[in-house]
Amino acid sequence: MAEKGGVAGGRDVYVPINPSIPSGEQTVWADVSSLLEATCQDLRDGELIHGENFNLFAAMSALEIMDPKMDSGMVCRYYSVDEAIENGAAPVPLSFNRTVDVQCTIDIMDHLLACEATWHKGHSLAQTVFSCIYLLRLDRTSSHALLHSYCRIIRATCNAVVSVVSDARTHEEEDLFTMTYAPSSKKRVLEDIEPLQTDLDLEEGYCKALLCRLRFRKHFYHVLTCMRRPQGKGLELARKHIASCLSELDCILKSSEFVRGNPACGNCGDGIEDRTTASGCQPIGFDASLNSRLSAPTPPRSIRILGWKKAIEYFQKLLHDLDIICSYSLDPSLEGVLHFVVEFQKFQPDLVARAHLQLLLVQDGKLYGRDPVFAVISKAAALPDITKNHDLQKNETVIQLGQLVISLLKILCTNAAWQRRKLGKILQDWRVIYVQLELAFRKEFADISSSSIDENVCMKISKHILIWVEEQTYWIASRFLVLGFELELYSPHEYCMVYWYIYVILIKLAEKTHLKMLKSNDTVKRKGKKKRDSPKDVARDYQIPPKVLFLQCHIYLAEGLTMMLAALKNEHKVFQSLGPFNTEHERFFQHFELLQKACIPDNISYVSFEESTMHARLSTLVMYNCFKDAQRIAKDLRSSFSNDPDRMAELRRIEQVAEHNGVALNLICRLGTLDPSLKVYFEFSHHPCFATAVVKRS
Amino acid sequence: MEATDEAETSVETVEFEASEIEYASYGGEHHLPLIMRLVDEELSEPYSIFTYRYFVYLWPHLSFLAFHRGKCVGTVVCKMGEHRNTFRGYIAMLVVLKPYRGKGIATELVTRSIKVMMESGCEEVTLEAEVTNKGALALYGRLGFIRAKRLFRYYLNGVDAFRLKLLFPRPEIHSSLAMMSTMNESHGQNDCMPSEESLLVEQSL
Repeated sequence: MAEKGGVAGGRDVYVPINPSIPSGEQTVWADVSSLLEATCQDLRDGELIHGENFNLFAAMSALEIMDPKMDSGMVCRYYSVDEAIENGAAPVPLSFNRTVDVQCTIDIMDHLLACEATWHKGHSLAQTVFSCIYLLRLDRTSSHALLHSYCRIIRATCNAVVSVVSDARTHEEEDLFTMTYAPSSKKRVLEDIEPLQTDLDLEEGYCKALLCRLRFRKHFYHVLTCMRRPQGKGLELARKHIASCLSELDCILKSSEFVRGNPACGNCGDGIEDRTTASGCQPIGFDASLNSRLSAPTPPRSIRILGWKKAIEYFQKLLHDLDIICSYSLDPSLEGVLHFVVEFQKFQPDLVARAHLQLLLVQDGKLYGRDPVFAVISKAAALPDITKNHDLQKNETVIQLGQLVISLLKILCTNAAWQRRKLGKILQDWRVIYVQLELAFRKEFADISSSSIDENVCMKISKHILIWVEEQTYWIASRFLVLGFELELYSPHEYCMVYWYIYVILIKLAEKTHLKMLKSNDTVKRKGKKKRDSPKDVARDYQIPPKVLFLQCHIYLAEGLTMMLAALKNEHKVFQSLGPFNTEHERFFQHFELLQKACIPDNISYVSFEESTMHARLSTLVMYNCFKDAQRIAKDLRSSFSNDPDRMAELRRIEQVAEHNGVALNLICRLGTLDPSLKVYFEFSHHPCFATAVVKRS
Repeated sequence: MEATDEAETSVETVEFEASEIEYASYGGEHHLPLIMRLVDEELSEPYSIFTYRYFVYLWPHLSFLAFHRGKCVGTVVCKMGEHRNTFRGYIAMLVVLKPYRGKGIATELVTRSIKVMMESGCEEVTLEAEVTNKGALALYGRLGFIRAKRLFRYYLNGVDAFRLKLLFPRPEIHSSLAMMSTMNESHGQNDCMPSEESLLVEQSL
């Protein structure tokens, strides 16, 4: 059929086949201009053609064809990679002048590094690394040994990184990262080299510049492969390669002076900061728009490739973060793992580092691919040894608990924003599993005669696990709340209720932690109990464990801040939450909805918050004692944690917050009424979560 | 979606009294090019005409324009609907021309829209704003929005966004919490919550 027909407004419209565009196997091009025109005439002003499923997404995805702002298919320069190549966009060799060729090769290497860093930071592979025509047509470069081997190692490295990130599979970031099209690269031996280029004076400089770039790539690739080895077996070797990478990066930086000073590619002008190459010159053979059709249906976006210096800094940071992972001692205690991950996240590692951490921690459903989850839980809950081979681990609910633990570890490796949302969601799961475990234990241990362990031990196992589950639940809740500060989710007039809720949660956490420790101490004590120990001696010698006291410091800070903020609101009308549409009650509900739904904790509501804070007055000494108490305990704890640099740093921060707030409180009390020129601010100058009050005259 | 940065004021500000600004609800096709021009100029995301039509055609009563001496200087474009069992309003675009910022025009536009949403039975209102857009965050904060979530690298330039949410008072929250308090805490207070009406203070802008 040479024609196709269309119908508009009940009339037949002539739609000719367009012969100038060749038809494919199953396609034929037809000119529909007349059909469209007729349809337009039928529509009223402002009338949209829309079906039932024409929703916002459909509307926003709609394109205005041939509008370059929207239409990715609009040809910018070249229609395809092949056309670009035909037009000389990616010559091989880069230049017949060998000095220029070497310089241009270095530029390509630098630009690719910058593209790679840009990709890692969240842009698509297509618009970054694969904007390189040489990479897209690898075989073309086979006559150019340097370029060819560099391209091959880039492809191998990208494959390795994509593999790690997909295996971690958190979907926290757009899957732009993993959209790639990389056929496997073939192996080829690097040919023997002659001198790089003909200018003897420049030969050494160019050799050095190239060598460090090539060596960096080699070592970086080895870092990735070593870190993927199961059960952390390659970590030590990875550290060596990381050290080599960092040293090669230093060389690359040092080489920039030579590379820039070279007239080989002409004067490239100033503004070196944003340039993607050490020389400052534009690299040959890159065109990000070639792949834009592959990124459809989104509108075309030009992205800024990171500057070369920034790219180096990115890799230095990545290597630093990977080194921390590689130095990790693979602590078999769950508590140790959680602590490590929380501390690691303070460095704000990017996706690639976090994916590596997650894969190290969780492999084949085991911790480090080595320790079965049940064993980890048994240790964490301080279960008696006898449980090691018990059928308990086959219990369905216990298995689910294991899955919650695995899932928690994965969540803790995601970026803070995603992490907080996920932590909020799982609160309910942890609450539910507690209830289910209670039931499961009752059933499991009901038929005592058939099991190999006695009733007392059953009770112990049950109690230990339940207490531990509660402790974990409150720990998750505390992380959820604290992350809100890091993410800047709270405004100053919400601090009071947030600190109050943190206070409430931490009290529960401390209670459960303490209870757990008492129970396990009980077991230990019972074993080594001497007949001469009198209850009085035991009671007198008993000291609250340092871990619990550590929590107590935070509790005092939270309490102190809650009361200070409440008093300021009550007496000086500071941080009042006004608004025409709702009240503090709604905001409380919104912030703590997930906690409330999961009854974490029970019997807590906006009313309890109101009642706790409505009578707060600056003059009340109890507030003063809070900060003083925090200071006192923190000071006393220094000796207990002298071997733990992270905790020592935290104790110092606690002391500073306590001291400064105590002083501020004193000052505000002495001043009496706050005259309008005095302002009270709360800043996070000493601690990322616990604010410090600052009194300023504006 | 997007809002202009309220705090940004160019060197050239236009002098005017608040009373000189006239506000109008979306009145039809003649308003559409005014909205499009404003949004196209001031906001970075390219929107197709379908996007605009989608909003103003289906929810004309939720979009408002601000005029100064006949010139359109600001606009707000919104929608509302059922979303996961919640009837919620959504503020899609908010723009005020640079020389007119900082004078409460955006606040007035948004307030009018939110009032209509509230009267139409919405339970909450939501929008996204760049974490760096201090002006928008302050504006919505004053209206009672909280930062419900942080969205990592939401915008293509790598900037994070906050999802802002305003929850209207609901009788259920108040009564269920009041019930909890009388059950669990013996304080003999039956109705702990002041009446909703008295809390909704009319803003004079």
